[in-house]
Amino acid sequence: MTVVPATEQRPTKIACRDVWKVFGRQPERVVERITPDQTSAQVLEQTGHVVAVRGVSFEVQPGETFVVMGLSGSGKSTLIRCMCRLTDPTRGEILVDGQDVLKLAEPALREVRRRKISMVFQNFGLFPHRRVIENVAYGLEVRGAPRAERLARAQQMIELVGLAGWEQHFPKQLSGGMQQRVGLARALAVDPEVILFDEPFSALDPLIRREMQDELLRLQADMHKTSVFITHDFAEALKLGDHIAIMRNGQFVQVGTPEELVLNPANDYVAAFTKDAPRAKVVSAAAVMLPCPPGFDPAGQPAARADAKLEDCLPMIAAHDGPVCVRDEAGALLGVLDRLSVMKALIV
Amino acid sequence: MTSRALPLPAPPLLKRFAPLAVGLGLAALALALPAGWREFPAAWNLGLRAPIDQLQSTIVANRETIPLFQYFFDPLSAFIDWGLRLAENLLLALPWPAALAFSTITGYLLGGPALAALSLIGPVIMGLFGLWEPSLQTLALMIVAVVLSVAIGLPLGVLSASSDRVDRVVRPILDGMQTMPTFVYLIPVVVFFGIARVPAVVATLVYAVPPMIRLTNLGLRQVSPPAIEAARAFGATRWQLLFQVQLPLALPAIMAGVNQTIMMALSMVVIAALIGAGGLGRQVLVSLQRLQVGQALEAGLAIVLLAIVLDRWSEGLSRLDFSDTAREPVKALAPRWVPARWESAWLTAALALRRLAAGPAHILGTLLGGRDLRRFAGVLNLALVVAALLLLDLLVHFGTFPSAWRWYWREPTDALVRWMRDNLFEIPVGGLLIGTGPVSDFIVIYMLNPLRTLFTEVLPWPVTVLGAAALGAWAGGWRLSAFAGLGVFAVGLLGMWPFAMDTLSQILVTMFFTVLAAVPLGIWSSQNDTVREVLRPILDFLQTIPSFVFLVPVIMLFNIGRVPGLIAAVLYAIAPGIKLTDLGIRAVAGEAVEAARAFGSTRGQMLAKVQVPMALPSILLGINQMIMMVLAMVVIAGMVGGAGLGLEAVNGLARSETGRGVEAGLAIVLLAVIMDRITQAWAARSQ
Ligand SMILES: Nc1ncnc2c1ncn2[C@@H]1O[C@H](COP(=O)(O)OP(=O)(O)OP(=O)(O)O)[C@@H](O)[C@H]1O
Ligand SMILES: [Mg+2]
Repeated sequence: MTVVPATEQRPTKIACRDVWKVFGRQPERVVERITPDQTSAQVLEQTGHVVAVRGVSFEVQPGETFVVMGLSGSGKSTLIRCMCRLTDPTRGEILVDGQDVLKLAEPALREVRRRKISMVFQNFGLFPHRRVIENVAYGLEVRGAPRAERLARAQQMIELVGLAGWEQHFPKQLSGGMQQRVGLARALAVDPEVILFDEPFSALDPLIRREMQDELLRLQADMHKTSVFITHDFAEALKLGDHIAIMRNGQFVQVGTPEELVLNPANDYVAAFTKDAPRAKVVSAAAVMLPCPPGFDPAGQPAARADAKLEDCLPMIAAHDGPVCVRDEAGALLGVLDRLSVMKALIV
Repeated sequence: MTSRALPLPAPPLLKRFAPLAVGLGLAALALALPAGWREFPAAWNLGLRAPIDQLQSTIVANRETIPLFQYFFDPLSAFIDWGLRLAENLLLALPWPAALAFSTITGYLLGGPALAALSLIGPVIMGLFGLWEPSLQTLALMIVAVVLSVAIGLPLGVLSASSDRVDRVVRPILDGMQTMPTFVYLIPVVVFFGIARVPAVVATLVYAVPPMIRLTNLGLRQVSPPAIEAARAFGATRWQLLFQVQLPLALPAIMAGVNQTIMMALSMVVIAALIGAGGLGRQVLVSLQRLQVGQALEAGLAIVLLAIVLDRWSEGLSRLDFSDTAREPVKALAPRWVPARWESAWLTAALALRRLAAGPAHILGTLLGGRDLRRFAGVLNLALVVAALLLLDLLVHFGTFPSAWRWYWREPTDALVRWMRDNLFEIPVGGLLIGTGPVSDFIVIYMLNPLRTLFTEVLPWPVTVLGAAALGAWAGGWRLSAFAGLGVFAVGLLGMWPFAMDTLSQILVTMFFTVLAAVPLGIWSSQNDTVREVLRPILDFLQTIPSFVFLVPVIMLFNIGRVPGLIAAVLYAIAPGIKLTDLGIRAVAGEAVEAARAFGSTRGQMLAKVQVPMALPSILLGINQMIMMVLAMVVIAGMVGGAGLGLEAVNGLARSETGRGVEAGLAIVLLAVIMDRITQAWAARSQ
């Protein structure tokens, strides 16, 4: 029997292993002395150092969107900035395509930043002295693309984010939401494999926000970009995220699919995030089905796919008095849905 | 965070009476010490003079063989001389109509019609005064000094912005350089470069470079971190980051640095003439020394005009925006002063003119394959007009500003001076005599002389030294106390005691008048917008005038001596005092003022109990600036009868007794630094 290494089967795009970031005068020394039962507040009080990211590990598969949520100050921005080394983590490994970003020398790091990873900033990070189109073309400019080519590409991106007509304006002449879209276009223009999003849609109105989310989903589907996405909005996390991590005081409290988080929040902190989630859209039939009761005859009963969301099963359940079958893709019977278990799953 | 135990408050009685006790103690000491302690013992003189003179003559004798000179100073000298000659020759070769056209059009491009008019009138007046060539010489010196300042200051600024370590080394040096009166720069320069045109450039350069470094550094450090971070995230190299993001964003600050550098360089013009600069500075200096006040006034006015025009130009340069081509201002309105029935004609003409002005750019753009060159239209037109006039010069040969056109002010000015001396010297009003003579006498007899006598003849020197130490202790603690005491003592060791005490008495009396004028005016201006509006242009004007030029009109009124220096110093130093007082009071937080109003304070109570106390740090900062400016001016005024340290330094320079100049210069620096530190500590203490 041959063992195929997991990485060959499905090469992980990004893997973070035990990443720490401590701010202060002697972060290396402090990070070694932190014991697991010490809280970050205690570390701050005793050493004056801020533990912003604390032993975070996770993996992101190619084409996946990994969402990070957490209260303000929980270390989300710091984590994402470590990933493209805008800040150097104090300890840990960050592998992108199996290559440790932290070990890269300056030229190699620059190359990674120019081609592979780009970033959308929480505070936009636009260049106030450059026009919109020059901002968007910046990434191509630093890697030496000819002028005509980069302007054409930038023009395309500006249209994509719905800012056609604003190319020649300066950032300060744009509203916050428009500036955010410039930042988005700038990140997309370099056609990176990985995009790091730091609350990219926070300043957008609901309509444009939805449009941008759909656009992002489309990009994901078409171009299989891998992204790490920070947001405060759980609905957005559900819509975009393949996996969601909930962060608190620099640590991941729980990582899982939206469904796992909604159904089995690890603690009250996570539950507080998932409380208002539209559960019918998240929970699938397989997650709430019961085993077939003895003597159950599936013939003639309506059936739902195992991965169907409850939202889609509800009409069937409402219209049919008896249990509804749950079948997998091949049509095999897995279990049944009854009204009581579905209602329980929806309410909680 | 470690928490330290708060120091126990000193017993209030002791604290309140400590200054009084120290004062009484010093007075007692003064009475107790025998008469022999009045003068600083001559035997303690360090005797720097001889070795320095020795060094100087060794350098002069062996210039060719000392490597430092052979391979560094001499080539540097030759290079600067080459640049200066080049600039001078180019400027002097310019036919005068071309020069005027250049100036006017540049003024228009940088600041519209008003600046165009100023840029035309300024040079024309210089021509009419017969100062065309000296003005161009001065301009050449300015250009070379400023270009070199930028060439040196910009990289140094970039360096100190990019490394905190460099910044930590550079900053105190710059602070020190800015505390020193202009004058002091001449002395080391003379040691290394001798007396000629090149050392004049070097002294100007050294004086003018600090703001360039400082503001480049500041501008780069203020670039918003998100922009830098974004550039890094997209893989910009250090150079790309510098040239694409940091420098463009720091440009306004850098241009402000260029502006300040130009103004500093101009303020050196007259002083640099002391060691061999030609041009307008020399005219002022020579005329003043010969007491030809009219001629000095003409040259001084030319310097002021040059300063104003260059100031406005560099200010315009920093506002220049080549980026906005998309939106041309299409004004469908004539200015207010155009009568309504002329409006359409006005607009047609304006449009035609604009078309005409855009013409060359349009044609050139078309020739170059349809490029949009509209934003360069102004520069292009400038080049075209100047080129056309240069071509015309080949036929007509304009030469230098026509000597037939003269409009001298010297005779009327001298007549005015004579009239004023005859008629304003003593004016009997009732039984009282007023006028320049009595005022001058009063200041000398009742203020300057007693104070000088106090310092030189009444107080024994140890009392003065201890007094300085006590002042330092009161303002800033034992370190400052030691520094102040030792500094004053060192002045004695340099053998400059009597001169320094003379200068000190002048500074104190001048400060008395300056504060008396500046603080009330500042308070008034903070309370009344009209006063502020009236004062502002006057103060701005006062701040553009180079220090030496202040002396000219004052000497017209008061002849030479210590009083004109005093009055010139008051005028020179008053602007920052008024501005900072005004600013400080206006900056007092609205909440505090509102709270005071809610408790029913009158305006006077509010001023006295809330605004002035809260503005005190700002006012003290103003006093710090004023004292430094007063010191600089009093030193300069030494040349026109003020005596004291200034005269010692000038004599040292002029008679190439370098040792004497160095001693006086060091004493000036010591006085400056001590007074600067004490007033700054005082300002910090009151916060
Ligand atoms: N450069 C820095 N120096 C010191 N402390 C820092 C620095 N950057 C971040 N921190 C600290 O790290 C912690 C995490 O900050 P971070 O910006 O990552 O939070 P966040 O989760 O992104 O918050 P938000 O949702 O408000 O953006 C905070 O306590 C912050 O004070
Ligand atoms: Mg953040």
